[in-house]
Amino acid sequence: MRSRRGWLTGLMFGVLCAMGAVTGAQAQEDEALSYFRQAKVDWRQAAGQSLTIGLNKHPFTESLLPLIPEFRKLTGINVEYLILPESEYFTKLAADLSQQRGEFSVIMTGPMRNWQFVSADWISPLDEFLNNPKLTDKAWFKLEDFYPALISANRWNGKIGSGVGEGPLYSIPVLEESYILAYRKDIFDQYNIKVPTTLEEMAEAARQVKKHAGIPGIVARGTPSVASMGTGFGSGLKSYTDGQWSEFDGKLNATLHDPRSVKYTELWIDMVRESGPPNWANMQWYDAMEAFTAGQAGMIVDADFFAAGYEDPKKSKVAGKIGYALIPTGPGGKVYSGLWTWALGINKATKNKEAAWLFVQWATAQRTLMNATLGYRNYNPSRMSVTNDPRVQEIMGAWGAGSYLKTVARNLETARVFWVPEPERTRMGDIWARALHEVYFKRMTAAEALKKASVEIDKVIKEAGLKD
Amino acid sequence: MSGKVARGRRRRETLLPYLLLTPALVLLCGMIYPFCLGLYYSFTSYWLQYPKRFRFVWFDNYVSLLDEPLFGRALEFTLGFTVAAVVLQVGLGLAIALFLHGRIPGRGAIRAMMLLPLMMPPVISALMWKIMMASTNAGILNYMLSFVGVDPINWFGSTRGAVASVLIIDTWGNLPFVALILLGGLQALPSEPYEAAKVDGASPFAMLRYITLPLLAPFLILTITFRTMDSLRIFDVIYATTLGGPNDATTNLHIMAYQYAFQWYQMGKGMAQAIVLLILVVMVSYLLIRLWNRSAESNAQ
Repeated sequence: MRSRRGWLTGLMFGVLCAMGAVTGAQAQEDEALSYFRQAKVDWRQAAGQSLTIGLNKHPFTESLLPLIPEFRKLTGINVEYLILPESEYFTKLAADLSQQRGEFSVIMTGPMRNWQFVSADWISPLDEFLNNPKLTDKAWFKLEDFYPALISANRWNGKIGSGVGEGPLYSIPVLEESYILAYRKDIFDQYNIKVPTTLEEMAEAARQVKKHAGIPGIVARGTPSVASMGTGFGSGLKSYTDGQWSEFDGKLNATLHDPRSVKYTELWIDMVRESGPPNWANMQWYDAMEAFTAGQAGMIVDADFFAAGYEDPKKSKVAGKIGYALIPTGPGGKVYSGLWTWALGINKATKNKEAAWLFVQWATAQRTLMNATLGYRNYNPSRMSVTNDPRVQEIMGAWGAGSYLKTVARNLETARVFWVPEPERTRMGDIWARALHEVYFKRMTAAEALKKASVEIDKVIKEAGLKD
Repeated sequence: MSGKVARGRRRRETLLPYLLLTPALVLLCGMIYPFCLGLYYSFTSYWLQYPKRFRFVWFDNYVSLLDEPLFGRALEFTLGFTVAAVVLQVGLGLAIALFLHGRIPGRGAIRAMMLLPLMMPPVISALMWKIMMASTNAGILNYMLSFVGVDPINWFGSTRGAVASVLIIDTWGNLPFVALILLGGLQALPSEPYEAAKVDGASPFAMLRYITLPLLAPFLILTITFRTMDSLRIFDVIYATTLGGPNDATTNLHIMAYQYAFQWYQMGKGMAQAIVLLILVVMVSYLLIRLWNRSAESNAQ
């Protein structure tokens, strides 16, 4: 009897709570919608249409999905989506874009991918939507709120070999990543290891960590794929050469075998072979990130926002034990980090361009990105107003006892997309990464392997007709 | 009147086989169309992101393979892996079949348990093994090996380790298939030759060598044929674990064709590589099937 009454009370209490939650959520939702209705745009102009969105499996995607019902309510546009892991995603995307069937209306893309898609004429310039007062309330949307480096990274005039930052805007950034050094401050302090400022010092620090703490001194991505080249390795090389070196010369000849690049590669591979994890050659970004999060490495040079994972006490063994610093530099002492931004673009072949743009505008609106960051850990914000929000500052400011925010802010002063714009960038990176394996497994010297890679890339560039 | 009925029935009889075949024909068309399209593309410069450069190039894609450094390595691994996998799987499979053919307790249970790997999709088993083969402390396989005094093996981070991993995972998944077919074969063998041999005082090894193996030959060749075809075009296990790395040590023709077609979008070249692989598979299986026919005939005599 008693237990039944308890059960009844519990049920009633539960119902009351649920009602409270529902009305609370309702109020929140109405408030959110009223924010969007401030914009002088008819959000319902495409009501009843349907959109399919192509998404890569990524923290940003996780942050977007729970917010989509709000878009449905606001616009009456029906949204479906397909989420695939990165390599499958880009394969499926290329298949759809090339057939020009317009299956995906909105796509998740980014600067280097845009070069491929723009060359093939597969994606729409967004300026026509941005400048159309019927579709966009520019004063409300505030494109100038985005970090200028991110917007210019998504512009390209279509000229192979130059012109990033000029010409049409092809996608709107939803997050920012640049590349920094994260290190185990507890271990570094305990054994008096110096935070490295040059590659040689980094190799020494890695050696010390391995010797004293018995864990790999450094983890890094190592699979033979373009994904391994663009983050820590590429930014380190750019900085090592004081921003002078590029993967192509002015005439689009590959210069991977440049003596500075050869020297850097030797040092890097020696460091990874000597103090890195045994399975470096099979490590994807998430393997490297997980190893560091599990306390299985002294340093990692990779995306800054991985910090959101390192500092998540629920998942991380090293939360609160990490320091952040700029990546090691060359003789000039200045850092030149790479930059990447996931961004939303529009398929040129889609039939509902207006609806697609409304989605992009909603998904990159200040309120949506703020919710994605605060509610679902979408870091780093692409809008300055989100970064500068006190609530966001409080979260990010705690990472690395303040060293995170300081490091990222300094990094962003010079970080940019430094790759030479050309549509074969993925292929170039894959060939390059294979050369690193030849060196790591001692089948070739760095000079031989990188020379061979350059020759191979030149062949591809020629075959693709990018150069006579 | 009766003639009419008979004619109607005859027509129905001639139509019926076609009707019954329809699903198979639809399926065949579903296979033939992509195949023909792929064959056609292999003679073109089809490259997804350069639609304007689409041309018919005859045998250029095939000829350029000779100039492709990866092709030699991929062909070498394809053939080397096939030989190793077939020898390992058929050898072990035969041993297991002979073992289970004897009178051992719990034979039924063992046989049922052996079916388990067959029920698992290769990708799933590959991912499961990938976790067990982690080279860090988390890898349960290295942990277990440490009890028998084996130093930690760098499964996916070294070239030899990666080749061994793929071989082990593929063997784990396919050994039961080989063992069960050979066991079925053993149980179907006539008992007279064995009785005669026993009367003559033949040793167990001699019986295996001169009676079992020759009589089992059709079954052996059958499993070798199946395993050879599958090993030549193995993809899922490699894709889920090593992606062809490290240092291209586990890149076979199939992985290479996938990279060209779906990673670099060079459909023409990718298709040409796939066709080369197909020709290889057809040639090898043709030879093996001829061998099988001959051994089946000689057994019948």
